[in-house]
Amino acid sequence: MITYFLCLALFCVGLYCVLRKRNLIKIIIGLGIIDYAVNLFFVLIGYRHKGRAPILSSTQEIKNMVDPIPQALVLTAIVIGLAVTALIVAIAMRLYEKYGTFDITKIKRLKG
Amino acid sequence: MNPLIPKNQNTLKPNPGMTLIVKVVTRLTVGLILLFGIYIVLHGHLSPGGGFAGGVIIALSFIHLTLAFGKDFALRKLSESKASLLESLGAIMFLTIATLGFLGGYFFYNFFISKGKPFNLFSAGIIPLCNIAICLKVGAGLFAIFLVLILFRLPEKKE
Repeated sequence: MITYFLCLALFCVGLYCVLRKRNLIKIIIGLGIIDYAVNLFFVLIGYRHKGRAPILSSTQEIKNMVDPIPQALVLTAIVIGLAVTALIVAIAMRLYEKYGTFDITKIKRLKG
Repeated sequence: MNPLIPKNQNTLKPNPGMTLIVKVVTRLTVGLILLFGIYIVLHGHLSPGGGFAGGVIIALSFIHLTLAFGKDFALRKLSESKASLLESLGAIMFLTIATLGFLGGYFFYNFFISKGKPFNLFSAGIIPLCNIAICLKVGAGLFAIFLVLILFRLPEKKE
């Protein structure tokens, strides 16, 4: 049970980073931390005590394996997180070209 | 000009990229990284890993080259249009493998007659082929994303 709360703590670190920091790059890093906290939570839900990876093997017999469905889901979520991060980085680069700064308090001119 | 790269790198015109130490280490390791990615892809149906993980490792080896030697060197190895072509080829290959299953009756049917022995390298029917297709798609796609972030600049605005 304590691992779930550690996951929540990691999530809160990311949330603090997104809400409190002013640098755009640090906000992107915070979004990445939130992403991985949620992924870690999903993998932990599927974990069984002393389970092994759900992969067939010729040498040993599988008695106790972890749940493979959250792992497949997390694999998909990692791909989507990668695409989202690439999109955000591209937008941040455009913003830097336009304003010359990463500070979000200075990005306030509302023009195209 | 790229604002994310320090200015003094532009002064080293004949020798772009990072320092000599980084270049020598890169020259030693980049082949091993590529080989490890290919191993992960080919053993995807036997061990943990598979098309996605191996594709990411292969893309990382090319990104490693780009970071160490500068973008011109990496573009000579795998140009942007070639990466785009490989990515599309991966998608079409995956779709073709899936559609060829209709020979046997349904989507994703394993159309190989001999199934091979389990836990051998040549076994598991169409799964290794699917892994290779996914590897092409993911590797070339990730490298193309990285290249696009480096190469494409807005035209300088005249103010």
